[in-house]
Amino acid sequence: MIEFKDVNFTYQNAKNDAGIHDINLTIPQGQVVLLCGVSGCGKTTLTRVINGLVPHFYEGMLSGEITVCGKKVPNCELHELAPFVGSVFQNPKSQFYTVQTDTEIVFACENVGMERSLIYKNFEYAVKDLSVSHLLGKSLFSLSGGEKQKIACASVAALQPPIIVMDEPSSNLDTRTISELRSIIQIWKSKGKTVVIAEHRLYWLMDLVDRVVYMKSGRIQLDTSIENFRKLSSDELHHLGLRASSAFEAAESAKNFGYNGWLELENLRFSYNDSGKNEALNIEHLKLPKGAVIGVLGHNGAGKTTLGRCLCGLEKKMKGVVRLDGQLLDRKQRIKLSYVVMQDVNHQLFTESVWDEVLLSMEKSDAAQEQKEGHAMEILNWLGLIEYKEMHPMSLSGGQKQRVAIASALASDKELLVYDEPTSGLDYHHMLDVAYTVREMKMLNKLQFIITHDSELVTHCCDYIMFIDDGIVRICDPLGSELNKKVQTFFELHSNK
Amino acid sequence: MMFSEIYQKTATSKQLYLDPRTKILLCITVSTIIISGSGTGLMQYLQYVLSLLPLVFLIILKKYKMAIYYLFIYAIATIVPGLLLPYLPPILNLLFTGIIAFSTKLIPGMMMAYFLLTTTSVSEFVAAMDKMHITKKFTVPISVMFRFFPTIAEEYKNVRDAMILRGVGTLRNPMKMLEYRMVPFLMSVVSIGNDLSASALTRALDAPTPRTNVCHIGFTWRDIVMFIFSFICAIFYVVALLQQEGIL
Repeated sequence: MIEFKDVNFTYQNAKNDAGIHDINLTIPQGQVVLLCGVSGCGKTTLTRVINGLVPHFYEGMLSGEITVCGKKVPNCELHELAPFVGSVFQNPKSQFYTVQTDTEIVFACENVGMERSLIYKNFEYAVKDLSVSHLLGKSLFSLSGGEKQKIACASVAALQPPIIVMDEPSSNLDTRTISELRSIIQIWKSKGKTVVIAEHRLYWLMDLVDRVVYMKSGRIQLDTSIENFRKLSSDELHHLGLRASSAFEAAESAKNFGYNGWLELENLRFSYNDSGKNEALNIEHLKLPKGAVIGVLGHNGAGKTTLGRCLCGLEKKMKGVVRLDGQLLDRKQRIKLSYVVMQDVNHQLFTESVWDEVLLSMEKSDAAQEQKEGHAMEILNWLGLIEYKEMHPMSLSGGQKQRVAIASALASDKELLVYDEPTSGLDYHHMLDVAYTVREMKMLNKLQFIITHDSELVTHCCDYIMFIDDGIVRICDPLGSELNKKVQTFFELHSNK
Repeated sequence: MMFSEIYQKTATSKQLYLDPRTKILLCITVSTIIISGSGTGLMQYLQYVLSLLPLVFLIILKKYKMAIYYLFIYAIATIVPGLLLPYLPPILNLLFTGIIAFSTKLIPGMMMAYFLLTTTSVSEFVAAMDKMHITKKFTVPISVMFRFFPTIAEEYKNVRDAMILRGVGTLRNPMKMLEYRMVPFLMSVVSIGNDLSASALTRALDAPTPRTNVCHIGFTWRDIVMFIFSFICAIFYVVALLQQEGIL
């Protein structure tokens, strides 16, 4: 059981009041609770108070009483809480400690000094319950994000804690893995575990949770049963900044705007090993109009990111022909013409201010300094970044960083933009911002590829859909009523096996 | 019972058939003797013998290609400087030939460290440290290192790709290149490190109670052979030192 009494917490060096305020909440054993709200609403902080990371790891001012399974969180060490609260986090790549799956699953059990025979028992239990036996004996570095997340769940389950908190566990996963994650939570629920999930992608949780807590600026605004919550319409949810509860709403059919120019791919082949077997990508012929926004869909490991990397010229071993407006482009030229907005945008911001970041992209052009500055101003204005001109890119929010990255791509006259899951972990309004930027880019007649698992983003900005499976492009067409149906099926969650 | 490495009772080829402690000892023996020894008289032969050890391990691991590379590079580094030395001006010898010659001293030690890292899993390492009663304050940071090497490689590659696409940081301006490379790289490594600590702490990494180690480690006859080998090398080393000092 979890009990909050008048809990307040502000982070040390917090900007604008980040934290939680006046929290009163009681969660009985066996309840599955969804914490939702826009980015920065305090839902993550609330999960951290339950697992003790606040105040023991993230420091700040804490007041009020928090009791978890009869233990007062502020007076407990983290290792005392560990047997009671298990935690699954957002980023699959930064939550495993040992390098192999097997040892990772028993890691927590080893740490608390559990007896060896009991560890073996719990290990078998966790592996069977979560059906991860096919992942045993592998290096965690070789697994996909979804597989890593399942191992993280298994590692938590092995210790058999009565409470499990999850902080945006689905934000890096595709629909197939999300439905697997859902069945894991289903099993926990049936065993009477308390599960607290902070999320803003709601659709996969609607049949699972018992109760919904909506937060805004650190306060609980709404605390209701799932039955009441289901009555809210999509519009009402969007108004709250939440993602829609259904998976995909059909987009309008693509308008026939005058495409002026084509990108052509011929006999594109790529494989990761030298022998040329196991092709990760195999495209015979593909013709794409400039100005199109192409939603690249497919399950994890289907070859979406590989396609993006090949197009941009990042893969030296790619074989095939790429033509833009009939002109052959070699790898160097493609690098010059294309840009990837990476999933982790931190990798691609290099300078100390937004202004420098944009100017850096123009370093090589021959234009006069004033001309460059004028152009930079134009771009910043246009992307709504002018007020952040002097700020350090790293101090901006995730969505703003992305826009800075796009601004720098614009400044260097890129024609081809590839977005690698640009909206993972973004709430409704931030997702709309991304969609808006993409549509603006479309007006400049750029060709844009959006690799995504986000159905709402597809609804809001894509007019072309490409399905990739096993490195082969199955479908690549403008969105229309027929394709809409296929996209809808793709985003539907598979019911439990 | 399902098949898993946590049930494994003895070291296999994956572990080079050796206990982690033996590997640490070998790593220390090889690097100390080769780096500190002078390379004349008896010491020279001792160094050749020790330099052969990584080659043997590579063959055990069936990395034949790498074994050939190793042999090749080592041979070049041993033979070429001697051939070039008389014909080059002293300054070049100091800067260039000298460094190649010195690398013969570094390569075997680096290879041993490579074996230690690639054939020892984090849990085996922790188990070995626990058996030697080494404090957690030392074990935890080192064990994180094992996990971090691949992460560092991954992040580094991502930043490199980003730089290629932006066309920034060419060799024309090396200081800028270093800055552009290091700033985003360090940022992401620090944030991964932070998340990693949080996740490990919620799984009781900081528990003061003794830790259970699921993986079995222990000495076999192979370890004893390696211990005797190290011991003999150490004796030869001392004898060679004394000889050079003129005591023997």
